[in-house]
Order: sequence, then structure tokens, then C-alpha cells
Amino acid sequence: MKRLERAALLSSLGKELIDNGSWCGETHLQKAVYMLQEIFTVPTGFDFVLYKYGPFSFELRDELGSMLADGLLQLAPVQPYGPRLIPTDRSGQLEKQFSKAVAKFHGPVSFCAQRLGSLDVAELEKLATALYVTREYGKNLKAKQRAKRLNELKPHIDSNDALDAIVAIDELLAEVEKKPA
Amino acid sequence: MELAARIYDVVTNPEVVSDEIKSLLPELSDRDKLRYWRRVLRVAALCHDVGHLPFSHAAEKDLLPDGWDHERLSRVLIESPEMAALWNEMTPPLRVDDIVKLALGPKKARDLKFSVWETILSEVIVGDAVGADRIDYLLRDSHHAGVAYGRFDHYRLVDTLRLLPSRHTSKGEQPAEPALGVEEGGIQSAEALLLARYLMYSQVYMHSVRRIYDIHLRDFLLEWLGGGRFPIEPQGHLSFTDNEVTAAMYTAAFDTNRPGHIHAKRLMCREHFKLLYHRHPDDLAKNLEAVDRVYEAISGRYGAENVRRDQYPAKGGLADFPVRVKDGRIASALSMSETLRRLPPVVLDSVYISSGLVDEAKQWLDAKREAIIANIGEEAV
Repeated sequence: MKRLERAALLSSLGKELIDNGSWCGETHLQKAVYMLQEIFTVPTGFDFVLYKYGPFSFELRDELGSMLADGLLQLAPVQPYGPRLIPTDRSGQLEKQFSKAVAKFHGPVSFCAQRLGSLDVAELEKLATALYVTREYGKNLKAKQRAKRLNELKPHIDSNDALDAIVAIDELLAEVEKKPA
Repeated sequence: MELAARIYDVVTNPEVVSDEIKSLLPELSDRDKLRYWRRVLRVAALCHDVGHLPFSHAAEKDLLPDGWDHERLSRVLIESPEMAALWNEMTPPLRVDDIVKLALGPKKARDLKFSVWETILSEVIVGDAVGADRIDYLLRDSHHAGVAYGRFDHYRLVDTLRLLPSRHTSKGEQPAEPALGVEEGGIQSAEALLLARYLMYSQVYMHSVRRIYDIHLRDFLLEWLGGGRFPIEPQGHLSFTDNEVTAAMYTAAFDTNRPGHIHAKRLMCREHFKLLYHRHPDDLAKNLEAVDRVYEAISGRYGAENVRRDQYPAKGGLADFPVRVKDGRIASALSMSETLRRLPPVVLDSVYISSGLVDEAKQWLDAKREAIIANIGEEAV
């Protein structure tokens, strides 16, 4: 995927997240893109490692910086949380320029935005890390064992919350398998 | 090394660490572990840039095999038998992986799993917002370049750094992951650091002549080095320093038979290419690929050998970190500081041309620019 094509897709994702009630900060976009790549294999080409609030892509962080520099996103402060990243009118023009790519991935983008739009940073961290652990160890590993691993990786997430997140991600994956977006 | 250790001593001081953070980072309550990690941090800070090529990491992407960069070279050296023997002789011995993690951080040591503690300590060295490496290079480069832009009150900043929850949480809510942050009283020092970074990048590192010298240096090295690449094995890497390269450039500049002669002459005789065009907000508003179009048009008219493109995309993203405000709550630095929010990203995208062609090319581009940038690319899908 070319850079501007990818920027158009990120812009459409940001708008969908906002339409679904998201505050749309960097963490929201990071986790939504991770899910787009991991669940729907949308070829955005970002490399994710376990870092702040779970899976994180340094390349995506740079890309969001480039989009700010190009006037495709703007910052809006939210006290006491971090700023929102809001797609601009210029990003709307870019979405029109790359309308085929945006349309091609509209289903997965909408699905992720609907499922993640209402979640706060703590909930996104749990869900995305649960997906990371599930991808790392496979669904065949029992939920309790994956929850234990999640708790080892992120000790501030207690065992019960970790298990809830693993169950939630299993349900979400099952839903996608059953009825592709 | 000294700065990283100072930061470590400040942020692990039991008097400034909250019980909540202590419960999430058990290393803070274990004196042996604290001592061990302090040594790892100092060694990692010392070795962090040991893999630099001659003249730092200018154009390393073109001068190293695919998948290699100076951080990977640093890792090879840290893991080399010679250095591993040093780590083993220390009391207690230092684990090589621990040094690598802290020296490179999660971004560059992606195959290693980082605990939260290790992530924080790596940020003490390589962190985008307030890492010791950044503090160190801004102060050092500012001093050596003879400019004041890079100076700021790093003593105040270091004294106010803290281990904090990464975000605000209410009572009964899941605690937030610990991260490196600052007390409210240090936010102006953090602003000064990030302003210093912005000014050093825009005024020194991104200066058009400094940038084109990097490009001519790369062009010279591509022809002068055997196979156009620096060696990656430790002995080969260590055999090249600034001295060998400078001597070779000097010789090549005055000997037409030497490889890289033309590029060395440009460097040594100040016959460097001149800036013709750089990204302009008005042009970007019409076409986000305006620089691509100009570069293609100029290369087509004057020949690729007479034209160079220099790109530096935005890196590091938003410099956000937790701030403990005076009433004890945690806030995002970007929500607290309008200065940080308004700092422009450092981005560079420029086209250079051979000095003998610059006047004509400027006239031609002035006449054709609007038509050139009006050419918006088609969607490939």
C-alpha cells in the first residue's frame, strides 16, 4: 500500500472511530490499526511490538506525525487525557483521491470502529494485548493460560480482567470467522 | 552515561516513588536489583551509539546491507565475544540481553521481550520525549556547532523526572502502566528540551548545506567502499573511522583516477549542489506529492546525475508523557502544554541541483511549477 493510500485509509478509520463515539487519540488509532491488520489482514504494513498500552507500532507513530505535518490530521486537546487526532478537510480530499482503497477496506474499518469506538484506553489495552497473546500462543492454548501470560506481560492488568479480555477477544474472533465483515 | 545514571538515581529515589508504582515495579524495592540495573543502564548508555559509522549515521541506509543500521551494529558489538567477556567479569556479571534491551529499546530490539521495568529503563536512554541520549546530543551538538539553540536547563528537567502512572485513573479503576514522566514543576524544562530539539533540527541538522554534504558523502562512499557498503563484522566496522574517510576524500578530490573523485571534489572544494526547491505549504495544499512531481520534472530536464532528492519524514510522533500536577492527579503533557501541542513536526523534503545549473533551473521551475504540481497521481488500486 502506497503512503498516501495508507494515509487515506487511516483518515477514514479516524472518522469512523469518531462517528462511533471514540475520542480518537493515538492509542485508539494504534489499537484499531493493529486489529485491522491482525484480524482482517488489511495490508497497512505496520510492524507492531508489545509496548505502551499493548501492541504498538513505531512506524504508525511516525506516519501519524507525517499526517499532522501534511495537514491531514489536527490535534484537539482533551483534559487531562492526551489530545484527539482529528482528520481535516484535506484528509477528506485525500480519501476522495484514493476512494477505491478506502471502499475496498470499508467493511473491516467499520467493524473495528464499531467495536472499539466506545472503549477507553484501559479497555483497548486489555483487548489488544489479549489479541497479541492469542496470536503469539494460538487459540488452542486455554483461555486461563493466555490470561496468565497477559498478566505476566502487563502486571497492572489483574488476572480477572485479563481473563475477561481473553474471552472477549475469542468471542470477537469467532464472530469474524462466522460472518466476515 | 553520566546523564542516564543521574536520571536513574532521581527516578528510583524511594522518597519520590509512590506506593502504587512500587507495587507495579517490584525491582524498586530490591536493593540488589536496583544496583544491578544501574550498572546495566550505565553500560547500555555507554554502548548505545558504539555502532555508528564514520560521520555518524548519515545515509547509513544506503551504506549498509538491507536490514542493517547502526543500532544493529551496536548490538553486534555488545554481543561480541570480546565485550561479552567484559560483562562476564563484572560482579555480578551483566546479562548481554539486558544491555542490548536498554541500549536499543523495543523499537530496535524487536525480537526481545521487554518487561515494563526494562521498557522504562530503555526510555531513560532512547526515549523520544526526555531520553538521556537526546538531552546529551542536543547539548553537545549545540556546544560544538557554536549555537545556543540546543541549550536548556537539563538539571531542572532531570530533577523533576519521575516514575508515574501513564494516565489518570479514578479510585477503584485498574491502575495504569508506569511510565517515565515529570512533576508539574518540570514541564517548562521539558518544553525547553523539545523546543531545543525543534530549533536544532530546523537550524542545524536540517540546514540545506549540511544535508547536501551528507548526500555527497554518501555518493563518495558508495563508489569508494568495496561493494559500496561498509563491513558489518566487528573488526571490519571498527577499521573505518572519520580519519580514514577524510584522508581518502582528500586524496580522491585531487586525483581524477580515484573512485568517487567527482563527489570528493564537491565536498573538498565546496562545489556542492544547491537547493532548488523544498516542500511548500501552498504547493502541498494543491498536491501532497508536489515534491515528487518537481523532482521528476527537474530530473527529466537536467538529468538524474545533476539532481538530488533529500527527504526526512516526521519521526517520533507526538511527544507525550505523564505529568503529575500539584494536586497529585496525572495529566497528559500534551493536554497541559500548549507549547508542546504547537511544536511543528520536523519534516524535510528538498530537491538540489548542480551549482552550474541552479540559475537556469530556478527560472524554468518558476515558469513551470504550477503546471508540474497540478499533475496529481492516479490511484493504483
